[in-house]
Amino acid sequence: MHISDGILSGPLLAAGFGGTAVLAAITMRRMDMEEIPKVSVITAMFFVASLIHVPIGFSSVHLILNGLAGVVLGMRAFPAIMLGIILQAILFGHGGVSVIGVNSVMMGGGGLLAYGVWQLRHYFSFAHKEVVFGALAGGTGVLVSGLILAMALLTTGEEFMATAGGVLAAHVPIVIIEAIVAGYCAGFLMRVKPHLLAGYKPAPLANDNKETLSKAS
Amino acid sequence: MPLDIDRFAHLDSPLRRWDPRFKIFSLGFFVLGVALIKAIPLGAAALVVALVLVGMAGLPLHFVVGGVQWVVLFLLPFFVIMPLSYPGEVALHVAGLPFAWEGLRLAVLIALKAIAIVLTAYTVFGSNRFDISMLALQRLKCPKIIVQMLLFTYRYVFVFLAEMQRMETAMRARGFVKKADRHTLRVIGNFVGTLLIRSFERTERIYKAMLSKGYQGEFHTLVIFKAVGMDWVKAAAVLAIVIFLFGADAAGVFKPAVQDWY
Repeated sequence: MHISDGILSGPLLAAGFGGTAVLAAITMRRMDMEEIPKVSVITAMFFVASLIHVPIGFSSVHLILNGLAGVVLGMRAFPAIMLGIILQAILFGHGGVSVIGVNSVMMGGGGLLAYGVWQLRHYFSFAHKEVVFGALAGGTGVLVSGLILAMALLTTGEEFMATAGGVLAAHVPIVIIEAIVAGYCAGFLMRVKPHLLAGYKPAPLANDNKETLSKAS
Repeated sequence: MPLDIDRFAHLDSPLRRWDPRFKIFSLGFFVLGVALIKAIPLGAAALVVALVLVGMAGLPLHFVVGGVQWVVLFLLPFFVIMPLSYPGEVALHVAGLPFAWEGLRLAVLIALKAIAIVLTAYTVFGSNRFDISMLALQRLKCPKIIVQMLLFTYRYVFVFLAEMQRMETAMRARGFVKKADRHTLRVIGNFVGTLLIRSFERTERIYKAMLSKGYQGEFHTLVIFKAVGMDWVKAAAVLAIVIFLFGADAAGVFKPAVQDWY
């Protein structure tokens, strides 16, 4: 979900760029050169995800995956999504150049909150909790973005009331689909390569094989 | 859908010869100025300027149309939603729904501005090789780490698309058909996970190879930017257009399509 050029008012565009600058400064603090490739992978994924279509009824929607970005990258999800939006604006006018700030806050903010939800899993212990919290995070990402988009439209003027309502309604199926896909994906990553997940804590090892295993990894 | 924005950057044109630093800065200013316009005639003027830019850049028509078509698709609903939902004076009723000319005017303004901005962005980034545009961004004091990530991502996007298409072919060969059910979503979830792991492991290999060749967070280039008089003239012309558009808009020469926007 993007907002296009030419709709929002000047102060809102400025607020978008300001918010993006602040969030980028916070989330990119102490960023190491070695993190660049991993963040870029997710940016490219975020970009490519918009080409993966999922059928619903007679129509289809494409994946957004900003929640999943939070699940994998944590705080760095914000710069990753911001760069994805910049590239989308430059490469195929998806969104637009003047709304890069607003779109970054919208999608990246969803990613950050998804990370918050994802981290809550540490307080629980049950089987397949990664699937459940991955799904919650995936849904949160899109839901928050939809809410921010609707709010941006409403603050622009009351003539956008109907559009904002339509936008929110259109988000409902996307939230459900994103949640299911992100849940399965988080479960898959947990089984196959758990180190990729943000905030991954390896299970404590029994004393007798601790040494050999830590050497092996 | 081919995504490489710079596949026609070899075509010689006044825009290609323009120093990319000046081009990105002044046309970026133009884009922001256009985003703030409130009157339809000025929005149309901005679109004309953008079309002139496209013409000067000499980019093939199908390339530009391919870029604009997504924007147009996104904008079409506004022509229906806005007139039917605009608060205030209602001119007539269409199929029992209130139809306001003001809403239609707003939709026209939005479309004009959006198309003008996308066309401008296409000419800016379509008339130079992508790495040169990014180098210009860096010279314009864009943080180095952001420029590096943009370059990495731009490269990865094409690699991942190829990887994704390979995996999709493999899935089809095994008889997978997308349906609207939970099984499909599960397969797609695993598909995304696999794509992530494969991509990540690939970039790790690439990164290690780059480090072993002496990469230290910067790409070196033989490109040297050298501004000449013409670069300044072109930038000044664009800035004059922006000031004219913005001034005419602020002075209220034309009736704005939106009241109480600010």
